[in-house]
Amino acid sequence: MDFRHDVLQIIFEALKSLNEELPEDQQVALSEDTLLFGGESTIDSLSLVSVIVDVETAISTQYDRPVALTDDRAMSREPSPFTSVRTLTDFVVELLTEKA
Amino acid sequence: MTAYADKTVLVTGATRGVGRQITDHVLAGGGRVLGFARQASYIDNANYTHFQVDLANATAVTAIFGEVRKKTSRIDIVINNAGVLTSQYAMIMPPAAAQAMVNVNLLAPFLISREAAKFMRKSKWGRIINIGSMAASLEPIGDSVYAATKAGLSTLANVMAKEFGTFNVTCNTLGISAIDSDMLAQLPRDKIEEIIKSLPVARFADIDDILNVIDFFASERSSYITAQTVFLGGVN
Repeated sequence: MDFRHDVLQIIFEALKSLNEELPEDQQVALSEDTLLFGGESTIDSLSLVSVIVDVETAISTQYDRPVALTDDRAMSREPSPFTSVRTLTDFVVELLTEKA
Repeated sequence: MTAYADKTVLVTGATRGVGRQITDHVLAGGGRVLGFARQASYIDNANYTHFQVDLANATAVTAIFGEVRKKTSRIDIVINNAGVLTSQYAMIMPPAAAQAMVNVNLLAPFLISREAAKFMRKSKWGRIINIGSMAASLEPIGDSVYAATKAGLSTLANVMAKEFGTFNVTCNTLGISAIDSDMLAQLPRDKIEEIIKSLPVARFADIDDILNVIDFFASERSSYITAQTVFLGGVN
């Protein structure tokens, strides 16, 4: 089963929700290259938490299974799965593929 | 209008003792209750939805929110009421009893509060109310772990108050004094009465003392009250 397209849309939806709360000059681009975490990211830590929570909730609802994006594996992985939209998408797809 | 009209209120330990009385109070005030308890429910009310879950099991606590999401998209108020108490000298306290107190009294409120906060974040409004204990302040002999978990509950609320304040969620703790309940029946009566005599208001708490403070924390007007612990009976 190919999850990638749907997962990417879910992450974009989470970023759209975040953008609704951000001022015009701090809007986050809806792109796989958008950086979410690390020195070059423009997203603060609380905003990243919001995105993670939205993605977790949407994935759990859409696929009717609990998904934890912040387990020990995610936290210890280098580079972090939260580095960019692309790495986060890859990580979620990996989790879903394992459970499929 | 009560603080609960048209609100969805999650109550843990909803079927017995103080939790049952809180549940009845919220329902009477026009609220909807999501009741968490280990046992089945006999509460017959259209505004009551029961979730059977063992709060000592962290995996089960997190998983039950998948069921909650199927029933509602709103949680406005959380009342972390459920607790377990084993009173015993530290040197002979069974580790399993100590672990159960940590799981039910501290870890479960943490997990429930954070999962509920994910709902509150969307509505940008919420109240998290922890039921603590005078034991956190009085530190009675035999209650090392129980008192520590209840003190931890205040700390939990105080930190969450900072994390959740940006979306208008307040987090407070009510430190209740002794009330006649199944939990209290486990303790020697003379020990309890000795503690009661030492309080500025030397009597047992009654349910209205508890509901009064819960109503205060839950109130719309209490949006500027957060990270506070209120003890009953003059404990401080």
